Amino acid sequence: MGRYLLRRLISLIPTVLGVTIVVFLLIRLIPGDPAVAMLGEHAARENVERIREQLGLNRPLFLDREALREGNVKGFFDSQYIRYLGRLLRGDLGSSIHRRIPIAEELKQRFPATVELALLSMALAIIAGLPVGVLSAARHNSALDHFSMVASLIGVSMPIFWLGLMEIMLFAVFLGWFPVGGRIDHTATVRTITGLILLDSLITGNLIAFTDALKHLVMPALALATIPMAIIARMTRASMLDALQADYIRTAHAKGLRERVVLYRHALKNALLPIVTIIGIQLGNLLAGAVITETIFSWPGIGKWGMYDAIVGRDYPVVQSVTLLIALAIVFINLIVDISYAFLDPRIHYE
Amino acid sequence: MTERIPTDTALTTLRRHRSLWGDAWRRLIANRAARLGLAIVAVFTLSSTLAHFLWHYDPKTDLDYSLKLKPPNLYPTSDVPTIHPFGTDKLGRDILRRVVHGGWNSMRVGVVSVGISLTVGGLLGLIAGFYESMPLGRVGLATLFGITGLLLGAFPAWLADQPLQAAAFCVSGIAAALSSGVEGVREVPRVSPLRVLLFSLVGLLIGGVSGFSAGPYVGIACGIAGLLIGGVLGLPLSGPFVSNIIMRVMDVILAFPAYLLAIAILAFLGPGLDKAMIAIGFVGIPIYTRLVRATVLSLNQEVYVLAARAIGAGHVRIIFRHILPNVLSPVIVQATMGLANAIIWAGALGFLGLGAIPPEPEWGAMLGDSYRFLASGAWWAVLFPGLAIMLSVLGFNLLGDGLRDALDPRLTR
Repeated sequence: MGRYLLRRLISLIPTVLGVTIVVFLLIRLIPGDPAVAMLGEHAARENVERIREQLGLNRPLFLDREALREGNVKGFFDSQYIRYLGRLLRGDLGSSIHRRIPIAEELKQRFPATVELALLSMALAIIAGLPVGVLSAARHNSALDHFSMVASLIGVSMPIFWLGLMEIMLFAVFLGWFPVGGRIDHTATVRTITGLILLDSLITGNLIAFTDALKHLVMPALALATIPMAIIARMTRASMLDALQADYIRTAHAKGLRERVVLYRHALKNALLPIVTIIGIQLGNLLAGAVITETIFSWPGIGKWGMYDAIVGRDYPVVQSVTLLIALAIVFINLIVDISYAFLDPRIHYE
Repeated sequence: MTERIPTDTALTTLRRHRSLWGDAWRRLIANRAARLGLAIVAVFTLSSTLAHFLWHYDPKTDLDYSLKLKPPNLYPTSDVPTIHPFGTDKLGRDILRRVVHGGWNSMRVGVVSVGISLTVGGLLGLIAGFYESMPLGRVGLATLFGITGLLLGAFPAWLADQPLQAAAFCVSGIAAALSSGVEGVREVPRVSPLRVLLFSLVGLLIGGVSGFSAGPYVGIACGIAGLLIGGVLGLPLSGPFVSNIIMRVMDVILAFPAYLLAIAILAFLGPGLDKAMIAIGFVGIPIYTRLVRATVLSLNQEVYVLAARAIGAGHVRIIFRHILPNVLSPVIVQATMGLANAIIWAGALGFLGLGAIPPEPEWGAMLGDSYRFLASGAWWAVLFPGLAIMLSVLGFNLLGDGLRDALDPRLTR
């Protein structure tokens, strides 16, 4: 298992490297100069040049062939990308071009926000979707089965931005049960331990903050959880239908085991493999698709800030860091899913 | 032809001709949910098309501030003289009209982006899957090695600013291909150290000599690059190499958060619905590549494919006449779901302000315009465009589900 892990981690490097190169190139291909964006269109040329020099934007992108021609080997490798890689390996993510704050600091605050929302939504989706799928498969072609499949199809078809807005309309504007946006009331303070407000407030015993954070979390989590819930329900049903055909299920019934035991301990365990795969994919999607939800609910995560604002504002370091982070998170999730296969199916063995 | 009951077993029974697609269609129609989906899709397509061509709407002139954000009304009143079943938006435009006309835009985005993903992704998937277990012919090998040489040779060519180097590597690649005589695909292709050495030296010469004319260090760098490139060209690359490269590229595209890729592409291409089609289409390519490749891999071992290879049919013929028709079923299902997905994506990008240029009616853009007025109670501007998105997507998803069941090869025919 250890050697397998090592191999996986090594094979991760070229892909992640490829992602950094592509995002590096892509963001710089977009017309627009961050220095001009910062100083305004009518700024003096010398000032623009000075800022560009400060940001290192006047270096060539990948390799400096002029330097090579002059015989300057060190200068050959002094390019934007190599500098970026060097800083990255030292742990320096750079500073946002717009606001001059170190990105690592900003990420430390924003990433846990997105993670908290994603994890909670995923938990909701699994808690709601899995039993529905199991029961639908158990009572195949019954009223429950048809109803839940239709409901899940509707759930999958709903655009999340619309669902979020409808929720706001119903629960926040008309009924006034939940706050419209944000993560927590600004008057509440929580000591940061993990960055996840729910956990931190529980650990420090700050119940006011806990309930407040929960109130803010309900709507976005519900909105985000709908699609994964529907997909998990469908996948569970399909996989369970397959698993229930097996002979050992018939044996279990013949032995007189209770239906719940047969379903969960025998059938579900063997049906879990594709379900876990889907869960992994959906979690990755939640992390990557946070832009829309964060826009609607004013959620202070990495979605809107890192993907939309930063691209539109040509904030190169932010885009690079956020993309790298999300890509790494997705690869990490895939690795966990793959490793879980070995635990779920003892026949799978990793060397 | 009517059924004839044979009175003599020597007579052959004549049956009405039942085609594969006819069977699938019959199964599809029998499925209630699929019928509903088909109906929704038909309504959607018809209303969009008819509205676009018959009910004229000029978004640039549609503007009436006196009717700003009026709730839905079914009969004229004193301050709202016109009927607006869906209400009006922030510029006083009738939402019903914009929703109907928005359907045309959404449909176009869906069809074109799925078309792009399907064609490019499908082609790449066909190539990747087919050549996974098929040796490349002389022409194919020459192209492969030539292109590899050209692309890899672009690096030393750029270093020394001598485009001819790339051409030289391309030629040496072709030479490597033609001189290799790769016969079948062995389990592990035999690497001939002599060949690798020979071509490495050739590469070193090409790179080093031309590089030196630009400068000593350039010569060294180009020489090293040429050595490596030559070594690669000396290897017995073949079909699986092509397949690997294609799938690696797809992996890199897939590793990207999709929204980021789409937003970046749109930022690069500029605003406009057609640019959004390209962006969404591009993001969808890996899905079709993977799907088609997986299907082709399983089809490669089918009897008719092996037979076609045995009689020496050309690669193009095998791919398009034997493999492609059997790849269609899962692709059609995925394309239908993909269309639904593309409509959601178009809406999402429009919501963020990318995609349709205002005042073009587009459902997502309509949502993006109006959601800030939600707190003041203007629910109609948000409900109806979103409902349109949801219903059309639901229709396509129902249809896709039905198609998947109808085209399921496991069902007995």
